[in-house]
Amino acid sequence: MHPRPALVVAALAIALPLAMVAGIALGAVPVAASDVAAALGRAVRGVSGGLADTLVVQVRMPRVVLAALVGASLAGAGTLYQALFRNPLADPYILGVSSGAGLGAMAAIVATAGATAARFTAVPLAAFAGATLTMLLVVRLASHRGRLDATSLLLAGVAVSYTLAAVTSFLMVVARQQMAAIVYWMMGGLSAASWPYVALVAPMFVAGIAAPLFSTRELNLMLLGDERAGHLGLSVERFKLVMLAAASLLTAAAVSVAGLIGFVGLMVPHMVRIVLGPDHRWLLPASLLGGAIALVLADLAARIVIAPIEIPVGIVTAVLGGPFFIWLLVRGRAR
Amino acid sequence: MNAADTVLLAYSGVDVGYYGEPIVRGADLRVHAGEVVGLVGPNGAGKSTLLRAVTGDAELLRGSLSIAGTDVRTLAPIERARLVGVVPQLVTAAFALSAREFVAMGRHAHVARFSAASEHDRAVVDEALELTDTARLAEKPTDELSGGDLQRLALAQALAQEPRVLLLDEPVSHLDLNHRLQILDLVRRLANERSVGVLAVFHDLELAARYADRISIVAGGGVGPADTPELVITAESLRDVFGVRAVVGTDAVTGAVSVTAVLREGAVASQHRGRVLVIGGSGAAAPLLRRLVLGGWQVSAGALNAGDADQVLADALGIDYVLIPPFAPMDDAAAVRVAELAAGADVVVVCEVPFGHGNVANLVAAASAAATGTPVVLVGDIAGRDFTGGTALDLWEQTVQAGAVSGIHGDAVEEALPGGTRPGRV
Repeated sequence: MHPRPALVVAALAIALPLAMVAGIALGAVPVAASDVAAALGRAVRGVSGGLADTLVVQVRMPRVVLAALVGASLAGAGTLYQALFRNPLADPYILGVSSGAGLGAMAAIVATAGATAARFTAVPLAAFAGATLTMLLVVRLASHRGRLDATSLLLAGVAVSYTLAAVTSFLMVVARQQMAAIVYWMMGGLSAASWPYVALVAPMFVAGIAAPLFSTRELNLMLLGDERAGHLGLSVERFKLVMLAAASLLTAAAVSVAGLIGFVGLMVPHMVRIVLGPDHRWLLPASLLGGAIALVLADLAARIVIAPIEIPVGIVTAVLGGPFFIWLLVRGRAR
Repeated sequence: MNAADTVLLAYSGVDVGYYGEPIVRGADLRVHAGEVVGLVGPNGAGKSTLLRAVTGDAELLRGSLSIAGTDVRTLAPIERARLVGVVPQLVTAAFALSAREFVAMGRHAHVARFSAASEHDRAVVDEALELTDTARLAEKPTDELSGGDLQRLALAQALAQEPRVLLLDEPVSHLDLNHRLQILDLVRRLANERSVGVLAVFHDLELAARYADRISIVAGGGVGPADTPELVITAESLRDVFGVRAVVGTDAVTGAVSVTAVLREGAVASQHRGRVLVIGGSGAAAPLLRRLVLGGWQVSAGALNAGDADQVLADALGIDYVLIPPFAPMDDAAAVRVAELAAGADVVVVCEVPFGHGNVANLVAAASAAATGTPVVLVGDIAGRDFTGGTALDLWEQTVQAGAVSGIHGDAVEEALPGGTRPGRV
């Protein structure tokens, strides 16, 4: 049987702030945990501090908070896709939604060349539009006579993903003068993090996760399949639309500030499910916390492994995530 | 108003199907409170589709369908789920929720969005577990349970909905005999004691006849009138609907309709082997009658008493035979009729029946056929079967002298027929 889910969620809720403090304290220039606290205290009171305070409050903090938001968004979106499609391999990346969001964001970057202020709001909006349209396209492609086939879904997702990646590359070549901005963004990373980005993503995250957090019972019904869920009183089509929109919003939130970061959306919900079981009342909050912790730590690793050079965080998530995922699969089979 | 008069489910002129194409047309069917209505019919005839019209899983293309007086088109899924519970054909649960949590999902339509399950909700779930004999499984993860357990949990889940109507789609096909009866006994009890209206698809005709108050045959794109099992399940209907010749009787123990499938229309050999008259009685000819029909022979049978096992089978097989009243001796008319059949036959087979004054006329017909050169096969020996004081023995010997084959049993009988071969297991 699974461990008491409440304990696991509580443990994750304690681990997240600890991971965030570690993320702030460690780096090319280490800051003692006590100094982190002091800097935070000064910032809250509005007292200005030295260079160390700037590092903590203006550089590391927004970066860690953003990592947590992006990680939680990706894990939340992955949990929703896996529940709605009853497919443990569904995640924003594999379904092509990330690529859709990416293309949208890219188009916005190109279109708003030179208009930095407009770019700031256009990118997330375009990412959301791209994510939603891609989701609709993939679902449409994978459906035959109203039935959504699991294998077709993944194939359609991968195929659409490749196509969108090609379009993205083409855009990059065409818009030469924007190439630096695009490449920088595409590598997938949090190095551009700042409070305005946090202010941008936080509302998207809250808006995206609110409905799912209040629908965990319905998400559980979806475990039974569309038909049974309907028999038990769920308006399945409407529910799926709302949840898919929420998942697209979460994906767009993550992609528009951090580019393409893989594995978190697939791996975190999966790991949590192995530990906690399929009950979304625990699975969803635990995945959000787990995703946040995972990306905070991954970003920390990206910054310090070969400091002062930073590795794109997507590489870290893949390098850590892949083998761990394989280990989980093998272990699951052995039991 | 009496509960039994309440119509819980009413199909009126319903066409139902998928993608605009009807599978079943013009369905008229009513299920009252406290009643179990069974749907039987060949695979793919649309029995499940008919159920799926209620839950919106199939399209209601024409006509009207109402649940407890409300048009199904105006019911939101959550309102419908408070009225109708469904037990599907196959239950899958590839996830580690406990059995209790699985059953509690049935409460979804009753629990308000932002509130937790109440004392009443828990009591209903407990009761559903008790009723379906699954309480001891309550804490087990559903992905570790057998198909039979899951099927019972699916019923428990449906019961947790506190439905007024239960839709069962072959709910016991995957269960062992004990659990089959247990589930259907429970369904019967729910109908009797709680006035639940049940519409159930049955694979097994005998179970349908045993548990349903009324049965309707779904076949050829239509729904037959729902009537008592005795009126609906007959040799004729089975032949028309399933293409099976069957003996339909009354089970000696349960008193329900019993069905013994005799042969499939499609299994009858296409080649014509000639005409054979079989002299039998008391079931002595039954296996041979069936095998000869399957082998492509045009079979007729000598005088058989009504109600005799051979007569019942002859009826089911649809062969030509001479009928005499129960326990009555053959009269002259019957003797003449048998002689005519013998004269028209290419071969006569006399089975291992005892001969008395009542049926010795059968043997007379065989002897005269042999005398005129018709091949005759005499199964077994006459010793111990002559209750006529010597008449039967004389006729037997005359027949043998005229060239009849005698003293053989089993497969050898068919081999002894003109062009006969050793039959396989049919």
